[in-house]
Amino acid sequence: MLAITNPDRRRFRWGAVLIAGLLVAAGCGGSGDDDSAADGGGGADGGPQDVELEFWTFVDAHTDFMQARADEFNEQSDEYNIILNASSADFEDMHDRLLVALQSGSGAPDIVDIEIQRFATFLRGDVPLHPLTDIIDNHRSELVEERTAPYRADGVEYGIDYHLGAWVMYYNSEILDAAGVDVDSIVTWDDYIAAGQQVVENTDAWMASIETTDRFSVLGPMLQNGGGTYDENNELILDSAENIEALQLISDMVHEHEIATASAGGQHHSEPYYQALNEGQYASVWMPLWYVTRFKDFMPETEGKILIRPMPEFSSDGFISTMGGGTGTAITTQIDEDKVDAAKAFLEFAKLTYDAQVALYTDLGFDPFRNDVYDDEALTAPDPWFGNEPVMTNVQAMFDRLAPEFTGPRYPEAVLQLRDVVAYQVVEEGADPAEALRRAADEIRSLD
Amino acid sequence: MATDTTHADARSGTSPRGRKPKRPFLHRPAVVAMVFLLPFLVLYVVFRVYAVGYAVVLSFQEIQGIGSSEWTGLDNYRRVLTDRTGFTALRNTMLYTVGTLLVLIPVPFVLAAILRSRWVARQSMFRSILFLPVLTSLVVVGVVFSLLLSTNGLLNGFLGLFGVPAQAWLETRHLAIPAMIIMATWRWTGINIIYFTTGLSNIPDELYESAAVDGAGPIRQFWHLSVPLSKPIILFVTVLTIFGGFQLFVEPLVLWGSGGGPGQGGLSAVVHLYRTAFTSFDLGYASAIGVVLAAIIMVFSLIVLKAFGFFAKDR
Repeated sequence: MLAITNPDRRRFRWGAVLIAGLLVAAGCGGSGDDDSAADGGGGADGGPQDVELEFWTFVDAHTDFMQARADEFNEQSDEYNIILNASSADFEDMHDRLLVALQSGSGAPDIVDIEIQRFATFLRGDVPLHPLTDIIDNHRSELVEERTAPYRADGVEYGIDYHLGAWVMYYNSEILDAAGVDVDSIVTWDDYIAAGQQVVENTDAWMASIETTDRFSVLGPMLQNGGGTYDENNELILDSAENIEALQLISDMVHEHEIATASAGGQHHSEPYYQALNEGQYASVWMPLWYVTRFKDFMPETEGKILIRPMPEFSSDGFISTMGGGTGTAITTQIDEDKVDAAKAFLEFAKLTYDAQVALYTDLGFDPFRNDVYDDEALTAPDPWFGNEPVMTNVQAMFDRLAPEFTGPRYPEAVLQLRDVVAYQVVEEGADPAEALRRAADEIRSLD
Repeated sequence: MATDTTHADARSGTSPRGRKPKRPFLHRPAVVAMVFLLPFLVLYVVFRVYAVGYAVVLSFQEIQGIGSSEWTGLDNYRRVLTDRTGFTALRNTMLYTVGTLLVLIPVPFVLAAILRSRWVARQSMFRSILFLPVLTSLVVVGVVFSLLLSTNGLLNGFLGLFGVPAQAWLETRHLAIPAMIIMATWRWTGINIIYFTTGLSNIPDELYESAAVDGAGPIRQFWHLSVPLSKPIILFVTVLTIFGGFQLFVEPLVLWGSGGGPGQGGLSAVVHLYRTAFTSFDLGYASAIGVVLAAIIMVFSLIVLKAFGFFAKDR
């Protein structure tokens, strides 16, 4: 019979503790090389090599879009078989986790969507993203070059957008007809104000709504007038003459001409605003082209009534549109080195090729930023929701008068100033636009 | 007697020969205590002590962007003194804190006293209902209050019954703080009632009976018995409310996202800290804001403790 004596029992107990500790340590240790690029299958027999890529985004639709592109890529590629692990999270949560992962040196995905407002944050210090200039160069002659600017630092591109985001004016033709306004007679901002006065006099609607807790209403005309937050030399131009002129125009619309008012809900992405626009409380709104999806998703009563036109011009030789919003897809430097080529090949296929750019419109409803796809029959078809007009063909007509947007190192803070302070002070409190912009610019400059 | 000696030896922990019996190492009280405390201590040291210490270290550095840091001495603290947005955020936070103190102490206390009185039946049911908001998901709270406080919302509808014109609660700078106080009142009244009910239940019924015999009515009993005898719990809830007020973060976030609300009217100190850390990625300055905020909270708490005579007991 096996008998365990006291000293033996004690030894046994300590041994058990030791073994348990080792097991826990082994369990926590991870397997080091398990995440290597090869990921097991493929490659060895001459077939495509399996490459597992982790993709983070904050837009559910982007996961479907990228997964569909991965499937197409795998059908066509002899070299790589992309296994895309796509996950979507809340906007703030995803960006914060990404920042922490990149700062701490581990945990970041291979590919990630970074919103334009947050992109500049990742371009400070040692940029933790892989340059994408080489794959953009392969298509540069076909691209609307201005769209690569927001994701560029020191001449190197680090992100590729999902859309052009051309800024347009959405008119409610029913209200304009009731006011006796011919939408195509509106060419300049003066025409727009005159039409607005007709609308206010003859209908119950306002001509325009101005956001007081978001940036789009003020930033669009600023960019269109040649201003914005930064110029191409990375200089802050928040208080430039062009911006002041644009903001003065908006202020005059609200306070002098009384054709515009603060938007319901404070911004064009709020429930109260969708409801108000749906009910015909505003005759027009200027927003980027991706806002077409909001009409279709949230404002069913506007079907067939909305006409899309260029922004009214400041001058006859000036810009009639610019670009707004955006999300750059990037490759992080935490990706395994032997996956980089595959990730770049996939990203080029998914974002820059002809078929991918057509899919940006057919799958997501966005305006592509590749010139040659605008002649594709998928994009030339008229859209019944928007006056049965060929919306994308009309967008293409603006390309030669499209103002670029440059995003410098303090772009996130500049946007916060516009959305939190400037828009509210000018629209709600009647502040002097020049003074409001000067204070905002001073605040940004004081950060460095 | 031998037996008594043995028991006495056992009680004194010595063997009959005068030697202490040798306990197994794992059975020693100190070791057992350490083993049970170790998980907490490890977590506390790693996630609290280390994190706070590291934040203090970071507050003396300039960290702008990934992989860049530079010692800058007290520059970040000097910057705190000239940060216009920071002052706006601090002012909003203090207004919110004062507002919540004015509402979240007296209202729940009175409600707790009423709930404890003999006039209210089914007291535990009421307490459970009032506690429900604490358990509600913040996402749901955000959506509900966005609708409740919208211009066409329920609150304006209710105020309209009394002839009050509709207010743009979420779009007007000076209404941002009241909107958050309304939300906080809904969320925290229930838990404060629980605290106060616990405090009130410790007051002996005999005191109320004696007061009643002496002719004191319910209001006098409330003022002269319930209030003074609940001082410790009132102090506790006051300090908690100050902590909660200065840590204001969730309410503005669910109402306005990471924006500061209309004209920065809803920007709190912690949201400013958060934006400095994650939107600007200025970790050094964000850490300095955190340290200063901690110091302000400590000073306020000490003032309140002093005012309540908390330190007088030590003399």
